[in-house]
Amino acid sequence: MKNPVGHSKVSRTGFLCTIVNLKFSIFFFCLLPLVCISIAAPAPSSYAITGARLFTLTGAAQENATIVIRDGKIAGIGAQLEIPTGAQIIDAKGLEVYPGLFDPITQMGLSEISAVPSTVDSSETGLYNPDVVAATAVNPESAHIPVTRADGITDVVAVPGSSGMDFSGTLSVIGGQASAIHLAGWTSEELVTRRSVAMVVNWPRMATRSFDFATFNIRQRPFSEVKSEYEKRVTELTDWFERARHYAQAVEKGSRNNFERDLKLEALVPVIRGQLPVLVFANRSREIKSAIEFCDKQKLKMILAGGTEAYKVKDLLKSKNIPVILRPTLRLPDEEDDPYDRAMTEPAELSSAGIKFAFASFDNSFARRLGQFAGAAVAYGLSHDEALKGVTLYPAQIFGLDKELGTLEVGKTANVIVTSGDPLEVTTEVRYVFIKGQLTSLANRHLQLYQHYSQRP
Amino acid sequence: MLPRRVERHISLGMLVMCAVFCFAFAHPVAAQAGEPPYFAIRNARIVPVSGPVLENGTVVMSRGLIAAVGREVAIPAEALIIEGQGLTVYPGLIDAFTDLGLAIAPTSNPSPLSGAEAQRTATISRGPEDRPGTTPWRDAADELQPDDKRFESWRNAGFTTAVTAPHGGIFPGQAAIIDLAGERAGNLVVGAAVAVPVTLEPNRGFGNFPDSLMGVLAYVHQVWLDASWYSQADTMYEKHPTGLARPAYDRSGKVLARALRDNELVLIPANTRNQLLRAVDFPERWKVRGAIYGAQQAYELADSIGAKKLPVLVNLKWPEKEKDADPAAEESLRTLRFRDRAPSSPAALAKAGVKFAFYSGGITVPKDILKAAKKSIDAGLAPEVALRAFTLSAAEIFGVITRLGSIEPGKIANLVVTDGNLFEEKTKIKMVFVDGRKFEVHEPPTPENPPKGDISGKWKLSYTTPDGPEEGIADLAMESDGSVSGSFTSKRGDATISSGSVSGDKFNFKISLAIEGEPTEITLSGTFEKNMMKGTIRVSGLVIDFTGSRPGSSRSAAEN
Amino acid sequence: MSHTVYSNRLPLLALVFAGLLAILPAHTAMSADAAPVILIQNATLLTVSHGTIEHGSILIRDGKIAAVGQNLNAPAGAQIIDAAGQYVMPGIIDCHSHIAIDGSVNEGSISVSSMVNVVDVLNPDDIDIYRDLAGGVTSANILHGSANSIGGQTTVIKLRWGQSAGKLPFEGAVPGIKFALGENPKRSNFRAGSDQVRRYPATRMGVEETIRGAFSEAVDYKKLWDDYNRRGSAGEKNILRPRRDLRLEPLVEVLEGRRYVHAHCYRADEILMLLRVAKEFGFKIRTFQHVLEGYKVANELSAAGSGASTFSDWWAYKMEAYDAIPYNAALMTRKGVIVSINSDDAEEATHLNQEAAKSIKYGGLSELEALKLITLNPAIQLGIDNRVGSIDVGKDADLVLYNHHPLSVYAVAQKTIIDGRVYFERPREIASRAELAKEKKALIDKLKAAEKKPEAKPNETKPEKPTPPLRPLSYLHPRIASAAKVSWVVEMFSAYAPGEPGGAQ
Repeated sequence: MKNPVGHSKVSRTGFLCTIVNLKFSIFFFCLLPLVCISIAAPAPSSYAITGARLFTLTGAAQENATIVIRDGKIAGIGAQLEIPTGAQIIDAKGLEVYPGLFDPITQMGLSEISAVPSTVDSSETGLYNPDVVAATAVNPESAHIPVTRADGITDVVAVPGSSGMDFSGTLSVIGGQASAIHLAGWTSEELVTRRSVAMVVNWPRMATRSFDFATFNIRQRPFSEVKSEYEKRVTELTDWFERARHYAQAVEKGSRNNFERDLKLEALVPVIRGQLPVLVFANRSREIKSAIEFCDKQKLKMILAGGTEAYKVKDLLKSKNIPVILRPTLRLPDEEDDPYDRAMTEPAELSSAGIKFAFASFDNSFARRLGQFAGAAVAYGLSHDEALKGVTLYPAQIFGLDKELGTLEVGKTANVIVTSGDPLEVTTEVRYVFIKGQLTSLANRHLQLYQHYSQRP
Repeated sequence: MLPRRVERHISLGMLVMCAVFCFAFAHPVAAQAGEPPYFAIRNARIVPVSGPVLENGTVVMSRGLIAAVGREVAIPAEALIIEGQGLTVYPGLIDAFTDLGLAIAPTSNPSPLSGAEAQRTATISRGPEDRPGTTPWRDAADELQPDDKRFESWRNAGFTTAVTAPHGGIFPGQAAIIDLAGERAGNLVVGAAVAVPVTLEPNRGFGNFPDSLMGVLAYVHQVWLDASWYSQADTMYEKHPTGLARPAYDRSGKVLARALRDNELVLIPANTRNQLLRAVDFPERWKVRGAIYGAQQAYELADSIGAKKLPVLVNLKWPEKEKDADPAAEESLRTLRFRDRAPSSPAALAKAGVKFAFYSGGITVPKDILKAAKKSIDAGLAPEVALRAFTLSAAEIFGVITRLGSIEPGKIANLVVTDGNLFEEKTKIKMVFVDGRKFEVHEPPTPENPPKGDISGKWKLSYTTPDGPEEGIADLAMESDGSVSGSFTSKRGDATISSGSVSGDKFNFKISLAIEGEPTEITLSGTFEKNMMKGTIRVSGLVIDFTGSRPGSSRSAAEN
Repeated sequence: MSHTVYSNRLPLLALVFAGLLAILPAHTAMSADAAPVILIQNATLLTVSHGTIEHGSILIRDGKIAAVGQNLNAPAGAQIIDAAGQYVMPGIIDCHSHIAIDGSVNEGSISVSSMVNVVDVLNPDDIDIYRDLAGGVTSANILHGSANSIGGQTTVIKLRWGQSAGKLPFEGAVPGIKFALGENPKRSNFRAGSDQVRRYPATRMGVEETIRGAFSEAVDYKKLWDDYNRRGSAGEKNILRPRRDLRLEPLVEVLEGRRYVHAHCYRADEILMLLRVAKEFGFKIRTFQHVLEGYKVANELSAAGSGASTFSDWWAYKMEAYDAIPYNAALMTRKGVIVSINSDDAEEATHLNQEAAKSIKYGGLSELEALKLITLNPAIQLGIDNRVGSIDVGKDADLVLYNHHPLSVYAVAQKTIIDGRVYFERPREIASRAELAKEKKALIDKLKAAEKKPEAKPNETKPEKPTPPLRPLSYLHPRIASAAKVSWVVEMFSAYAPGEPGGAQ
């Protein structure tokens, strides 16, 4: 399979060449509403990146090392490697090589312009939508994909029915199935790494204070009212899983003639069998605890998403071995009395408690800040190695994709980035991006507009 | 003290005439029937506030006024003598800012109108020129309802007088000073148009000017500028109309221009430190004579209030923990400090030489008013200053010092008689005199039997009115002696329980609600067991059965 | 006609000050006496105006920078800050902020809300002041929201955490007024019900006419007063003083150059529109805010001498932000526009140093150019560069000390100094946390115990006055949108409603 955006002569002039090539195409880009770069030249199937500082994330950094990519996979890593004939050689002296970054919660391809409803496919209506699948709606022409890729992010999970701006103020309880995608492909199907990696559950919240979209005011509700609403939702959710269990039993042992097919329950069967994890969005410690208790009882495999107060339930998370995908570290604390750096110190705290966690943007247009989110945690006490794994290996592990992704190891999918330095640093440039073993263009809507208007006399 | 408009207009002599006039034509049915308008309390401890305490003193009341006070006072033959041994006589207490006697506006609108629907029904204000929430021509004195049930409960707590003002909007209308008894509205009024209260609450919702705090501040400033300009423009136009553009008629401007001319007191809300810091500058900016109401964080900056010589009305409804709050939600340290220190504000104000009075604020069970003041005494306020805040200081601030606030000959015979120190909890209020008429205090019926269970909690009541099935929420709190307080919410509005008790498994409580604009007393009584109750609602001769449940557990919540 | 909003309240402040110390969420224990003499030593100084000084020292006296150099001796009694291994840069200036505002950021009900003024509602207790201070911000341009074509009056503050509202404004800074163009004032992002009355303006055409209409009125109003003053000084009697109009007064100040215009905008066409309108009425646009398509009309911005204050990398949150590019700051800089990077958001303001650094990656600015985006350039835009924006003798001692180079994601502010006083100090902040927690627990226990007493029975639910103030809406928005930066939501928070059914202005 070829990626849409290969380069043939990139090795000679690197980044600058990319820019020069693009100048010729600039008028095409401006005519197209969304960026789609098509360079017809056939892409090579093997590459050798030489002379780089290699961060495999399986051990110490290797100086002056070579990495060979062939047929979409990492074929070799080491100091003295035989370079396959026909391989495109990329001289990466002075550059650094890392696994591609992985943003485990985004709305990539599901939402183009959040304020324009016709461009948004992130949340289905209704409270229980276990059967909807994000991959179905991922738009391969989204301008967000090349923009995000240009900052070294090669993989994301597109999550339906979760956060994002939703003017109705109501989120579904079961949001649908999240899909792992990598950020290059001609069609939506080519983008898919794995169609279903988790079932999204927005854990019901007990919030006495909420924003009322009908009046644009803060709405204060009595706790007893909120609590009984919450309990109603949890009862409903329990009911869904119990019905799914019953349905699974019917499918397994019963006769098809005796019951009708139910697509929603069918979608939940892998969940109750523990084959598909639930990605539970919860932030307050009370809600996290209830969710853990619930998943325990229902024997579900849980991934916690959000986790603002995960630090308050460290022991529980550790004892149940539940991984956490943290909200962006660049956020203010929820409470006035919280330390100002609460969000930044949480990753270090979870790390020292032995909890597996990953960083995520929970967004689209801010996905390119992924490295910055991890870097901020390093500034406040997390080890650099852990932070780096929190944007590569750990998200892959959390979604069971670590056999293919997350480190530079022979045999893994060649999602690789070549950078001018530390990928968590805000000034670092990404020079080359390989996705599924193909050198992929760094051109994107922003770069093109920049180049175009740089020409204005 | 600044000269007061009301003082200038009504001399004491006129007042005596008025009192005589009133008595000649009014039937004092609310007071004990058949009693003469002459009383003498003798051998009592008399606390005149304006002077030293008299042990074994006598106070004589005659036709609504205090005739004499002292140790050696001749008691006229016609006077009904009250033996005062063991009793203490204080001037009647003044609640310095209330809505007593005025129709109770529903505190919230429970109608399920969505934002857009609500908008269509409301008038939209598109700028200052539309004078949003501005009805300064309303005067509480014109809207009094003498049968307000709250008068009695306030009297029972020792209050004889209140400043009362209409609700709603930024300039809701002018305040009146009223005595808390009388058959006709006119009998109650001591002074009309004594102050212009201002609120600084923005309009809620969309597109209705002003919908921000800064918008309200700009608006109020503009209104005062306009009033002052209108006054000049109108005068000039009256003199030389020919050739001058006619200033547009401005009802608010006209009323407020008069208030400015009369140097009427403008009441400015400010409770927290920031609000207070802002508010102390408003009188200069608006060019008005101002007083502050709220002032619960005055402990932070009493001196700056003192420096501006602004009088203050202190809200005695001290900040409390939110009811039915999320138990997991912690209050911020800032909030906790405020709650802890708010009752120390009066002491701080006293120390800074600020003149202040007390008002009940959101307190709806009037016996809690003195308890709230006691908290301030515990926080360092001298009891005599607290007493003064309820009496003479309030009279000073509202310019009625020659008529109210102390026990002196010639003043209105408003007295409260207790069996001990006013601020002590065990002290009972025995009687009050309002305009020289005696009111015995009816103790709320003490429960015959100890309560069988705790009725506290949120009860959902279902009943059928002539309009069809309805539901209401009774949020009850019971004390160990069985007395019950709380609120009742239904689509007809929110109401506070005025009196309530539990005896054995029986309960009884009263609320007052505006029904078709009239304050109407409603009694709910019945029996309860565990989380179920049943009983009857009595309202205006109508008896309606109800059943209720207390969703205490998740199971019962699910049933709902 | 102009009127200062607050009279001098210095004596008042002195009195209040002692009380304030008690309520600070600790962090800083400030003294009311004169700023101490401080010598910062052994630091890498990023002066912005004259290069980097290794092993440099800064002497601070009377709140001002008294000396800068490599070998400064400490005067007797000076407080020494040994900043070995640390970087000192001028305090960050945020040219677009909505912190420290009590109540709504917008008077959103009307198309021209110039009568409102954020100075009237400054809230010194807003915890976001402290959080931004901890991110190295020392000054901020506090703006009204963007719901209106002509919004409210604005002010520049220093983040003097712990002082009262009257002490926040940056002394002598020219006051401003917010304008807003595009989707927010025309309110196309508000999902109105079909029956909703549309407020004028509903198009970019109408926005232009709203602004022109208001200035046309302002010109007449000015003439009215000029006539009155002329006739009055000529001795004429019996002339009626014109009615003061708080809405038009600030516009007259704009016409007279006494008030800066800070115009929220996105698209290139609307930027050019406002330049035309300003030219017609003879005033200047001091800054274009956000100005996300500024790179398309950088020539015109440069020629007009208007500043541009933009985001680092925000885009695609609404239609008019779809052409936003992270190269905007660099491209405009290269075309000669004075550019700053702003926050528009209390959180974003905590890492403006990182946001400025991105312009090195996106567009290749130098480190110095990147630093200027958050120091000297916003100072120039706000007309306060004679006081702040670089480390120079005579300027205010507004400084921030970092443990790494501030253009790195790893840099954490260690100290923030304003007027020569240390307002934020990280070790002290961390040390104070246990103490605050202890106090909080003690208060909770005490108040709980008091509630248990029978007389402290809770009575009614709704107090007449809201006592503990609700957080302003601006506080809420990051939570609504969980992860996304949705400051535009705040901006249009009040950009919602029906109002004038026609060009009533």
